[in-house]
Amino acid sequence: MAQVRTTGEIAANRVAIAAVLVITLIFLAPIYWIVSTSFKPRNLSTTIPPTVLFTPEVSPFVKLFTKRSQLREQPSPEEYAAAPWWERIVFDGGEKVVRDGKGEVQPSGYPNRFMNSLIVAITSTVLAVSMGTITAYGFSRFRVKGEADLLFFILSTRMLPPVVVAIPMFLMYRAVGLNDTHWGLIILYTAFNLSFSVWLMKGFIDEIPKEYEEAALVDGYTRMQAFFKVVLPEAATGIAATAVFCFITAWNEYAFALIMTNRRAQTAPPFIPSQVGSGLPDWTVIAAGTFLFLLPVAIFTFLLRNHLLRGMSFGAIRK
Amino acid sequence: MRSKLAGLLAGVSLTFAASVPAMSQELTIFWAEWDPANYLQELANVYEAETGVKVTVETTPWSDFQTKAFTEFNAKGSAYDMVVGDSQWIGAASEAGHYVDLTDFFNQHKLAETMAAATVKYYAEYPANSGKYWSVPAEGDAVGWSYRKDWFEDPKEMEAFKAKYGYDLAPPADFKQLRDIAEFFHRPDEKRYGIAIYTDNSYDALVMGVENAIFSYGGELGDYATYKVDGIINSDQNVKALELYKELYGFTPPGWAKAFFIEDNQAITENLAAMSMNYFAFFPALVNEASNPNAKNTGFFANPAGPNGDQYAALGGQGISIVNYSENKEEAFKFLEWFIKDETQKKWAELGGYTCNKAVLESAEFQNATPYNKAFYDTMFKVKDFWATPEYAELLIAMNQRVYPYVTGDQGTAKEVLDALAGDWNATFKKYNRVK
Amino acid sequence: MATAVMTTLDPKSRAARRGMSDIAIRNLFIIPTILFLIVFNIFPLLYSLGYSFTDFRASSPAPANFVGLQNYRELLNDPFIWSNFAITAKYVIVSVVGQVIVGFGVALLLNRDIPLKGLITTLLLLPMMLSMAVVGLFWKLLYDPSFGVINYALGLGSFEWLSNPDMALYAVAITDIWMWSPFVMLLSLAGLSAVPKHLYEAAAIDRAGTLYTFFRITLPLVAPILMIAIIFRTMEAFKTFDLAYILTSQPTTEVISIRLYKMAFQEWQTGRSCALAYIVLIMILAITNIYVKYLNKVKER
Repeated sequence: MAQVRTTGEIAANRVAIAAVLVITLIFLAPIYWIVSTSFKPRNLSTTIPPTVLFTPEVSPFVKLFTKRSQLREQPSPEEYAAAPWWERIVFDGGEKVVRDGKGEVQPSGYPNRFMNSLIVAITSTVLAVSMGTITAYGFSRFRVKGEADLLFFILSTRMLPPVVVAIPMFLMYRAVGLNDTHWGLIILYTAFNLSFSVWLMKGFIDEIPKEYEEAALVDGYTRMQAFFKVVLPEAATGIAATAVFCFITAWNEYAFALIMTNRRAQTAPPFIPSQVGSGLPDWTVIAAGTFLFLLPVAIFTFLLRNHLLRGMSFGAIRK
Repeated sequence: MRSKLAGLLAGVSLTFAASVPAMSQELTIFWAEWDPANYLQELANVYEAETGVKVTVETTPWSDFQTKAFTEFNAKGSAYDMVVGDSQWIGAASEAGHYVDLTDFFNQHKLAETMAAATVKYYAEYPANSGKYWSVPAEGDAVGWSYRKDWFEDPKEMEAFKAKYGYDLAPPADFKQLRDIAEFFHRPDEKRYGIAIYTDNSYDALVMGVENAIFSYGGELGDYATYKVDGIINSDQNVKALELYKELYGFTPPGWAKAFFIEDNQAITENLAAMSMNYFAFFPALVNEASNPNAKNTGFFANPAGPNGDQYAALGGQGISIVNYSENKEEAFKFLEWFIKDETQKKWAELGGYTCNKAVLESAEFQNATPYNKAFYDTMFKVKDFWATPEYAELLIAMNQRVYPYVTGDQGTAKEVLDALAGDWNATFKKYNRVK
Repeated sequence: MATAVMTTLDPKSRAARRGMSDIAIRNLFIIPTILFLIVFNIFPLLYSLGYSFTDFRASSPAPANFVGLQNYRELLNDPFIWSNFAITAKYVIVSVVGQVIVGFGVALLLNRDIPLKGLITTLLLLPMMLSMAVVGLFWKLLYDPSFGVINYALGLGSFEWLSNPDMALYAVAITDIWMWSPFVMLLSLAGLSAVPKHLYEAAAIDRAGTLYTFFRITLPLVAPILMIAIIFRTMEAFKTFDLAYILTSQPTTEVISIRLYKMAFQEWQTGRSCALAYIVLIMILAITNIYVKYLNKVKER
């Protein structure tokens, strides 16, 4: 902004910047607490006054990935000395690593759940965004009878509380054997995100001047080609913004995952709380699980952040 | 650091490798997330070494153990071959056909004689006295108490206590003493509190806590044979027991309105409370100095007696049942046959499992294995349990709804609460045609 | 809704003869989505509408008996259910109002030349990227009267956030505000950046006061998108399950979704819970309808 500013305006700006910084710190404090707890030894996770400075440890991550069992007495010094470093970490916490009959270390359920989360969230996001985009294009460019009603109907499917949908879905899935499967969750999350995706994408596509496609059609493109070669690149920002929202929702969904999955297809959100410990709470393990689980979605959002911010302003103007 | 990371990665890749299912015969047992499940895994490892059949114990947190199990049952899912289910599930699971009938297996192996009577009665048999069995008693459990020996044995405290209450400070023999000691040690100014009890109402924690008082006061929840509840659940002694439980809540650490086993153990390890209610199965964490800095100063006692000398405790623990939708029922039977052998039961106890096998329980070896095994042995012959009818979940939720606001929120009186509960339960039984 | 409907091509034109017709493309693009939503959203609802008139229990092999309106009658006469609805309403109001104040306020502060604005905005979005279940679990530790950081930082001693029946719902709402204010902020920021600069310049020339500028220029122009944010947040708050379920188990925080969950998947009263689900559904539809009407009014201005 090149206009001349009064001293009052400059002062106000400084106050605003200071306020933004303070608010940002307050908002980030709980996140900092999660991340820092995931590198703490267990006994420092519940101290008062809170422990801020400490030597970071990987013990929470070792525990996160292994199945452990409480020991009544500590292992003998020989046993301790013979154990690899990560097993000693577990011993230090009064636990031992659970092994199977062949002596192989048993993993905790975490890596498995994490993979399930990736499979379900990525697939359902791709489906919801691609179906949402073409449907939005259809509504945006063609005359559709009862368009407003159909759009409201599409939006209304997002209003249902998961628990409301869960009862009939549970009965349906039971009949067709989709309980506790990846596809079962993928379908649910796709249906759930589709309405949002259609609404958001329609805003973006409405903004793309139709003259672009008309020019392409005159140049001899078919309608399909025009859609893929002209409209889609123009809508990239909107698609990215929509994808971020769909991914965040699918990645973190809890209620459906709690009800519809058990073992084979369970995602991480209902699983992480189960790591709270079996005899004593271990917040460091939960923090480690949470921190790792936050990484993919944070990285995804960070990579697409410019699209997200720009995309939201795009979508906003048209209303 | 780098080598540490490399090691960690190696460990992780190892764990991934281990999680790839082998093609050989496999069995999956479902249980809640707690140490006995890990001990069972270790026991199962022995089985795998002997037979080559891989047995995996899958767990889920206590708060949604019941929901998970019944969603799977009701979906007729085959994810689990066996389940170590709560005693109150038996009615629901057997009537709906989720469990395989184990009556023949039970009789053939004379389990009613080799297992402790209370465990057979509450974990395995349904309906009561029918001679039909649905599970093999696996993990016996009951509520006991841990306490801070160093606080109790401090001469200054002992003197002050005697001066105030007129008798010696020692592990309480009855609920009156329990209350006095809780009151005595309750010092919010010093960040020390009297007692840690169960208050979580999301499943059965609060109800089991209250049961400990009710049963020792000589009360019952109802007549399990005739479904009569009025005059039983709201009897005078139950009103007194509930009043006492609410009084105990006043001596708990701050923020104690959603406490279950983890919080109660933490009360001891973090120097919050003088005494703490908990299931015996959660005590291993308290005797190891690596997990409990106060391990040397932690003692244990059985649930105290009521005013009339009755002494009972709320039953925990589970039996192991075969899921009717399993595709490996034959293998599951073979595992159970191995599980009930005397030497397996002995091994089970050594690993930390609470065997229900009478011979093992009575052995001196078992009773001296830990500081709390003797208290456990004493308690297992004086346990009582919640309703096991198929609609027990509704009964449980009604009891939570009525009792919780009274205990933690000071709403209504004990008499009002229990009268209302009797009404709720009666209505539920009417709805399912248990009573007219 | 200003829909840019493209003039359909002349069917005899060259472009239309190549490839698929527009009608075919429209149908191909729209119908699968509609069908998908019907199969996975509408059909299940009809299914459960049927069950809502029966005493069906999914946990029992017994066949369902038709009981007419009995489920609805009993539910609407159950004082526990009404208190669940009252709690939900209170929760929605507190948390949505809080999110709008905080989110819109931060957006106003951010809507100027600030160093590292893009980075700060992205960092502020972090809370909403977390799973509600995990947030609930962690805030339980933050709120803990004995080991919690919040009481320590604010010097509240052993103040009981979650164990105090009167405070617990606010504690859940505060957590929700922390988590979702960034969402309102993001949409508001988009709306604010769309306000043409020349309007502010004109106001400055007229020496209009800050408040006047805010109420006459900023707010009306941002209102539609703010309204969208409010609609989405209201719907989500009404549906709240995980956060309240994990943070506390106070009767004063038993929002309707929790009651429904218990009835359906713990007590297995399938028929009755379907009826309750319908009551909830009708309420949400009514509320959203009012909002959408209001949104259209705001847009017309």
